[in-house]
Amino acid sequence: MKVLAIETSCDETSASVNIDGKRILSNIVHSQIDLHQAFGGVVPEIASREHIKRITVIIEKALEEAATAKEEIDLVTVTKGPGLIGSLLVGVNAAKAFAFARGIPVVGVHHLAGHIYANSIDHELRFPLLALIVSGGHTELVIMQDHYRFEKIGETADDAIGEAYDKVARVLSLGYPGGPVIDRLARKGNPTYPMPRITPPTKYGFSYSGLKSHMINLIHKLNNRKETIRPEDMAASFQKAAVAHLIDQSVRAFRDHDAKMFVVAGGVAANSHLRERVEEAFQDVPYIMPAFEYCTDNAAMIGVAGYHRYRLFGEEEGMAMNGHSRLDLT
Amino acid sequence: MRKSPLRLVIDTATDYLYVGLFAGASPKEEHHRRGKRDHSVHLMKKVEAVCSAGGITPDELDGIVVGVGPGSYTGVRIGVTVAKVLAWTLGKPLYTVSSLALMASGTEGLVLSCVDARRGNAFLGLYEVGPTKMEVVEEDRHTDLEAFIKGLPTNPRVMTEGRPDLHRLEAGGFLDKAENIHAVAPNYLRRTKAERQKDSQT
Ligand SMILES: [Zn+2]
Repeated sequence: MKVLAIETSCDETSASVNIDGKRILSNIVHSQIDLHQAFGGVVPEIASREHIKRITVIIEKALEEAATAKEEIDLVTVTKGPGLIGSLLVGVNAAKAFAFARGIPVVGVHHLAGHIYANSIDHELRFPLLALIVSGGHTELVIMQDHYRFEKIGETADDAIGEAYDKVARVLSLGYPGGPVIDRLARKGNPTYPMPRITPPTKYGFSYSGLKSHMINLIHKLNNRKETIRPEDMAASFQKAAVAHLIDQSVRAFRDHDAKMFVVAGGVAANSHLRERVEEAFQDVPYIMPAFEYCTDNAAMIGVAGYHRYRLFGEEEGMAMNGHSRLDLT
Repeated sequence: MRKSPLRLVIDTATDYLYVGLFAGASPKEEHHRRGKRDHSVHLMKKVEAVCSAGGITPDELDGIVVGVGPGSYTGVRIGVTVAKVLAWTLGKPLYTVSSLALMASGTEGLVLSCVDARRGNAFLGLYEVGPTKMEVVEEDRHTDLEAFIKGLPTNPRVMTEGRPDLHRLEAGGFLDKAENIHAVAPNYLRRTKAERQKDSQT
């Protein structure tokens, strides 16, 4: 079965073709980051306008690179939420229109299901599986007893980890997005600044507002005292504390649930310190971290998740599918 | 005799969702509904419904006509996305038309088409619509509605929704065949608020 996938939930316009949710034939990602950088964050209306300008070109490129004709596609899958509603609606309507024109089924995919399934591109998933989802909007632990059976066991009580990175980068005047710049800088520094140990708000939950406030206060205090701030040490200290919290909670959840596999999902899965810490903490059990190209938003992961969704549940909503800015992972 | 071309006409720039299947310039099947930000749920269902009521499969369509705004940004994007992807997937021509002209074409007289744009502003266009054709009197714009109406010598007929008359639109040259389907985008008439604010700062 040949699958065409579309992802437009935020500021990337992406399309991908795969075979049986396994072999990725193409994965075209058009990032709008340059357009939004001047505004210090993603501007939803600008994102939507870009998506509609690019959508058919990106789909065409994905088919071309996959050496696949439109007529060969058997299934369309698309991110239906959560995300920026104006952006989601471009992808959802494009997917429905393509499916209708070709007389084939269309399936909506939860964006985070996509991030989790990014891990099954080069590996076989094993259940029960524990997934750590880390991105600009999410910090969650999810248990899967089988394919497409998600149970959220913990989430952030306040900020997502990516938000905390962005905020700290802004206070240190490092630019946007914060994750990659802090990660890069941290590699040149040492964790010399004292950081608070984060108290989990619930057994498997997360909290980043305390660490964020601590960073802001520390920087103000040092500035007031006219002490020089070593940004690379500051970045290393923050990153160490932020990642340690992820690892602590993941290890606890993994143990308590007798999980057989650990996977990391979402944009922050590209963070080098997180990857190192996962390798240390999970060295005795099977774990997967997605290849870098599948960490950030991309349609390949939506195609893989959508294939499994269709295999298990069929078409479901079809032409009545809508986009949803908020959506539960089910 | 040559069969008249079958075209699908879509407009979602206002609260009014319009889908029509036309043979030549005559409607065969039409669907319209007043919605509230739910065009995304209904548009493709209605496209499916008019095609099946007309007894055709999508590949029997000879072209797609779409209202490209101005109007609700999100609304118009739904229609334009669907029209673009249908035309491109089917390899059929795409025709664009002003959503305001489309709205005016169904009635006669001096017609003011307008879409509320908040704070007394509207996207509006003034058209003279005759029995067989129509023309632009004042180009589509974003402006203060009351001031615009006050400045007119006669009172126009105000339209905020309406079904298209393809005869008049074609006779008046309102349909533009897209040279490059990839490049088709809504006519927002306004840059985004973020861009306007950024400009006023510098
Ligand atoms: Zn994402």
